[in-house]
Amino acid sequence: MLKDTKIKWMFLLPAALWVLGFTLFPLFYGVRLSLFNVKIGGIDEFVGLANFIHFFKDFRARYSVIITLIFVISGVFIQMVLGLSYAILFNRPMPARGLLRTIVTMPLFATPIAVGFLFFTIFYEEGGLINGIINLKIPWLSNPYWALSSIIIVDIWQWTPFCFLIFLAALQGIPDDFYEAAALETSKARQVFFYISFPILQPTIVLVLLLRITEAFKVFDIPFTLTTGGPGMATQVLSMYAYRVGMRFFNFGYSSAISILLFIVVMIFIMTMFKRIRQTYQ
Amino acid sequence: MKISRHIGKRRISFLAYFILALTVAMITFLPFYWAISLSIRNPIEAFTVTGLAVPFLQYKPTLSNWHTELAVGETQKALLNSSIVGIGTAVAVSLLGVPAAYAIARFKFRRPKNSDITVWFLSQRVLPPIATVIPFFLIIRFLGLIDTLPALILINVTFNLPFVVVIMRQAFIDLPIELEEAALVDGANHFNIFLSISLRLAAPSLAAVILIVLAFTWNEFLFALTIGSLKAKVIPVHMAGAVDTRGVQFWFVAVRSLIAISPPVIMALLAQRYIVRGLTFGAVKG
Repeated sequence: MLKDTKIKWMFLLPAALWVLGFTLFPLFYGVRLSLFNVKIGGIDEFVGLANFIHFFKDFRARYSVIITLIFVISGVFIQMVLGLSYAILFNRPMPARGLLRTIVTMPLFATPIAVGFLFFTIFYEEGGLINGIINLKIPWLSNPYWALSSIIIVDIWQWTPFCFLIFLAALQGIPDDFYEAAALETSKARQVFFYISFPILQPTIVLVLLLRITEAFKVFDIPFTLTTGGPGMATQVLSMYAYRVGMRFFNFGYSSAISILLFIVVMIFIMTMFKRIRQTYQ
Repeated sequence: MKISRHIGKRRISFLAYFILALTVAMITFLPFYWAISLSIRNPIEAFTVTGLAVPFLQYKPTLSNWHTELAVGETQKALLNSSIVGIGTAVAVSLLGVPAAYAIARFKFRRPKNSDITVWFLSQRVLPPIATVIPFFLIIRFLGLIDTLPALILINVTFNLPFVVVIMRQAFIDLPIELEEAALVDGANHFNIFLSISLRLAAPSLAAVILIVLAFTWNEFLFALTIGSLKAKVIPVHMAGAVDTRGVQFWFVAVRSLIAISPPVIMALLAQRYIVRGLTFGAVKG
């Protein structure tokens, strides 16, 4: 630490004020909007919790919650399992390991909006890639169940690299001594994994799980492009529903209420996560 | 005997794991391959060539789709807009974020404490964008900045600033403090030390952070869609408009997807070492 001076505030304040102004203000504004019936060009009318009460009576909202939960739980679970398996696999010595790892990482930063459209051509029923290879006519995008599976598959393709990279970094962080000591006791790879790697990885697993859950709840781009929420409401996740209510039907109050509820759910996970993360900044 | 059999077994499993890894990589790459294959296919053959669609074997590749698409004025405009928003965001976010990161790394704050400031910055990153999209829309409209590039820069700076602060903080902490202390003893002031010592030493980290910010900004869609849909159209919004107006034209989707996807993927690969740290808010060191 350097000597205490007042200059430190000149370094810190511009960024702090910017973040304060442009995140707290919109958030409070969003909370205010959610308590009003907003009319474009007219005067906003205070309606109290009516927008929130409406949410719990709205069957579209309820359906949207179920879709979002299925999407988050199944998608994140598969990503975690695949990510961990990939990490163990690519931690082994093999030829061209760097190149293979790089390829497996590639989907992570691919523009989600473009990924959505690209998979539209991949899932396309006549002449699309998948049906072309397996020679079946699976209604990937026109059947409600398949459509939901499709957006989950795309999410898995894009986000497994995320779990993979972090697990790989954590695996590489385990000191060799641990394995050397284990080698004296047993030669079974499975035992080494369950008694050495897994316990050490556990905090990372929880961290990745929480990070993924919070991100998955926010999903928007992929259903927006791949299925536009359809067929019907089959892939209308909460973000999409809030967007549609707000920017298509201009019901800003109700849309804000949906977003605030989503925010609260995400916040619950984040609070748990921050207890963990905070320890690293002490 | 026994030992040689053991080695033989190991060689087989070595090969098996390599093949498994190769398969994983190939499946991951398949959508990219498909996009490339589509983009160099004659539009007439988009639906007639089936299966894996191997160029040269199943059809004669052509670059005409690329020529057509890159000659479109709107595509050029969108590329330019995306670049301006990206660079503008990167510059602003560095000017604001790097000094803040330095302050948290090197000075002692009491109220609030350093760790509290860091966690507070972090917490901004996790806000669901949809919760702020309407407030931002109304604020931007109030400022008269609807459909302008500065509005998009403003929003991207807001969402990337916490990321820069947290990652650069760690970069400064990892530097040896002795040089800075020595310079202080020699009578240099804090600004000069920051600019000519710390920043110079942390330059590689900053470069990586900027690459990741550029990728994030390039990919941002929700705000770009609500705030800049005509004059300030960036690549993802341009991409989204393509399908609405022209129906399903495979080659067209493929070319535009590749134009959109390539820059962020390449930038992220260049900053590979910092990705893990960035994605976990510094909780896991890559």
